[in-house]
Amino acid sequence: MLDRRFLLRGSCQGALAVMGLPFLDCLLDSKGKALAASGRPLPTRFSTYFYGLGLTKQLWVPKTAGKDYEVTEQLKPLQPLRAKINVFSGLRVAVDNNPNYQHWSGVGASATGISPTKMSQFDSKTIDQQVADVVSRGARFKSVAASCAGDARQSYSSLGGANTLPAEVSPLSLYTRLFGPGFQDPSKGDWKPDPQVMLQQSVLSVVADDRKRAMQELGASDRSRMDQYFTSVREAELQMQAELQRPEIEAKVAIPAAPEEMACNNALPNLRKVTPLMSRLAALAMATDQTRVFHMSVSEPGSQIFIPGDSLGYHQSTHEEPIDPLLGYQPRVANYNVYNMELFLSYLQELDAIPEGDGTLLDHCLVYAFTDVAFAKIHALDGIPMLTAGSANGRMKTGYHINGDGSPVSRVGLTAQKAMDISLESWGSGSMETKSPFTELLV
Amino acid sequence: MRKYLVLALSLALLAAGGAAIAAAGKSPAAKSEIVTLRRLTQEEYRNSIADIFGAGIEIRGVFEPTIRVGGLLAASTSVLSVTPAGFESYTRMADSIAVQVTGEKLRSRLPCTPKSPAAPDDACAGKILSHYGLMLFRRPLTDDELKSRIALTHTLAARQKDFYAGLRYGLASLIQAPDFLFRKEVAVPGGGDQYTLEPYSRAARLSYLLWNTTPDAELLTAAETGALNSDAGLKKEVGRLMASPRLEVGMRAFFNDMLELDNFDTVSKDSLLYPKWGVAIANSAREETLRTVIDLALTRDGDMRDLMTTRQTFINRSLAAIYQVPFPFSGEWVKYEFGPQAGRSGILTQASMLAMFSHPGRSSPTKRGVALMDIFLCEPTPNPPNNVDFSIINNTSGPLKTVRQRLTAHATNPVCASCHNHSDPIGLTLEGFDTIGGHRTRENGELIDLTTKIRGQSITGAEGVGRYLHDNPKFPACLARKMFAYARGENTERVRPAALKTAYAGFVDSGYHLRALLKGLAEGPELYSAPPPAPPSGSGGKVAMH
Repeated sequence: MLDRRFLLRGSCQGALAVMGLPFLDCLLDSKGKALAASGRPLPTRFSTYFYGLGLTKQLWVPKTAGKDYEVTEQLKPLQPLRAKINVFSGLRVAVDNNPNYQHWSGVGASATGISPTKMSQFDSKTIDQQVADVVSRGARFKSVAASCAGDARQSYSSLGGANTLPAEVSPLSLYTRLFGPGFQDPSKGDWKPDPQVMLQQSVLSVVADDRKRAMQELGASDRSRMDQYFTSVREAELQMQAELQRPEIEAKVAIPAAPEEMACNNALPNLRKVTPLMSRLAALAMATDQTRVFHMSVSEPGSQIFIPGDSLGYHQSTHEEPIDPLLGYQPRVANYNVYNMELFLSYLQELDAIPEGDGTLLDHCLVYAFTDVAFAKIHALDGIPMLTAGSANGRMKTGYHINGDGSPVSRVGLTAQKAMDISLESWGSGSMETKSPFTELLV
Repeated sequence: MRKYLVLALSLALLAAGGAAIAAAGKSPAAKSEIVTLRRLTQEEYRNSIADIFGAGIEIRGVFEPTIRVGGLLAASTSVLSVTPAGFESYTRMADSIAVQVTGEKLRSRLPCTPKSPAAPDDACAGKILSHYGLMLFRRPLTDDELKSRIALTHTLAARQKDFYAGLRYGLASLIQAPDFLFRKEVAVPGGGDQYTLEPYSRAARLSYLLWNTTPDAELLTAAETGALNSDAGLKKEVGRLMASPRLEVGMRAFFNDMLELDNFDTVSKDSLLYPKWGVAIANSAREETLRTVIDLALTRDGDMRDLMTTRQTFINRSLAAIYQVPFPFSGEWVKYEFGPQAGRSGILTQASMLAMFSHPGRSSPTKRGVALMDIFLCEPTPNPPNNVDFSIINNTSGPLKTVRQRLTAHATNPVCASCHNHSDPIGLTLEGFDTIGGHRTRENGELIDLTTKIRGQSITGAEGVGRYLHDNPKFPACLARKMFAYARGENTERVRPAALKTAYAGFVDSGYHLRALLKGLAEGPELYSAPPPAPPSGSGGKVAMH
């Protein structure tokens, strides 16, 4: 256990510096190492992306596997970045002994590899948080979540249980969190640590000191809740430590002015405006090492997206629109599926628009996109679509269609974590426990 | 497992629970248990800060979202914790509040002035910190808690040569502490097998129930002296709190939760189909319902069952547009009574309930039915069964014009019918109102049929269903159950009927007056009782978050 007073003393032999120049010198000294290390490879970022209601099987699953698959109707929107995307079909979600919690079991299974035992609860940390535990040290935020539809509860990033990590609800709120108070612009030449941060650290230190007493006498579930509170305090401390460091990444980006307040809801025209803005901010956040783990959602499971004038909307359409006897699918639902892929593309394009090293930010990312169902009309889970994008700093081959052949959806999660250089043998539980990543994709 | 055996009292409990222990005639070695740990809601936080530090403190920040458990947000406060993003916001808010409290403008309110504003003054800092510490933690600070804050204040005041600059951080550390952000409710042996809340926890439960804020100085004194754990002392405080106009604040918070009015934060409507809808209307609709409830429950001391049938309401200009009634008034809100022909029935037909439980572009008898059964009768509709093949309903049918026709198709499938027969009948009677609460007689050109059968009873339209709910004893019983669960932060479904018996009988005898119910609950031992701690289970073990 770290001596809490260590933080109070900072790195200047116990002298709590407030404004004094000597203290700043001292801090810069301690920064020497980090500066020297700036030549090391860029960090690999991880992002999850959630969209609701799946795709239409007849229209998205390519006929052949491998790199030369012919593009399908619903994958067409992703065509501009096809070479950086992997498509996974034929995956199975096993609920085992649990009910199929409609619009939830698929979310839980894709995000944790575990069939949920309760509605709206995750049975473990979600994959982004599992990855964040390993890769986030040193970034300002361990992870950040955003909801393009403007609902803080539309976050499928969680430390387990019912408590999800709240999503930022507008471009402005995301901007303020990332680039508001506490932000250290890496492109600024005259960087100085903010002395205020040191003072705030000493407050956190006093709060954290109460941990032992606060945990006493609590029952098991309350203990774990209190533990989560103190974990959050610890993360705030790490965040402040990061704010005292000179930013390491020499990002070739400029931080734009704050966006205006705008309507963020389920209306498609608004989503089409908000998603690219949120995406750009997410990209900037990762490019400037504010965070290495980002969760983006465009809707809840059972997506309530609607086109103004369509009184049914997306979710109701999946249940009420008849299957066209000639086409064999629901045409209006199919349109909504395509809109979702277009929104996803807009996210990826923003990541790909930032040049970094010998490629783009997207090349140094692994984006893991998941949904709640395979066939929304009947809440079917088998064949749930999975997509990844980015080559994880060269660790993941891209441009493939993989036919999972009925293997569990958790294989994609395991593959993604292997690509993130996380050492684990297996992932998932019950009949979705797997030890077999898609090795053909791993470099 | 909420109950947990503890072997020794902490310092905090020795200080806090001493009076209760004396009152119960037990030795100081008696055990205590932590019954609940409840995260403050946004409103509880805001009201508490305003009451502790006085008016004029600006609170800017994002609060963590809540979820509904057993129909109440209040129940989720005993389940949720503080996430990193949430804490980040709490720590910022705490600092910003402390900056304002110690700023030049407001510092004259502090209970002490330092000998010199440019140097530490431990005695003065101690006085200020223990004063606010008591208010924030809803119990006296322990020696350690106070000492660490005085030390922090001292160090930072000395470094900055500014007493108030140091105090800022001492105070901020209290405002972001778990002891403020969570209400920790502690029980001690209360005679017989049962445990009962120790006085400070009692004070907090009472105060947040009735006023939705932290206990005031008088209530804290009643806790300190142990008066709150005597019948007479408790009655006195309940009487005082209930006589205050602040009771309205507490009851607004309760009904906002019970009626699920927080849903308005995320309701969106199709602007092409319903161009009238907007934030102003959403806010007005929520306010209309709260005004109606408070008027009936507190101002008129009426029969709570009339909520289902009354034609009296409050409207403003934007609601008048939805209801298509004239608004020849200069004031903002006026009392309004719908005519007998308007087809309106209590809060069932207010824009709030009709709009919250609809789709963006169309009404939904299922959503309305599910919500009303859950909110007013405490009868949640089960989740749909696994892998229902909805194609049975949809594919063979031709174009179905009304929602009723589409829903009736469910009846052909017994699996669907089992749930839809539970929720839809009530919802179908409200089809005379569109997705934003406007009146209509036709849907897509077809005349709307407002008749239905609920448990064999033929019912027509909103007035029919309003009367049905008014006369259904499950409605007042559900209201009482939710109030009890709300006060205790527990799942409505787990409330033992026996715990409510006395208070409910008083509610019925009074003619269903809310004050009678509240008084019966607040004065009764059941509200504060807890089962004895369970024996310790196998220790260690990893704990899953639930």
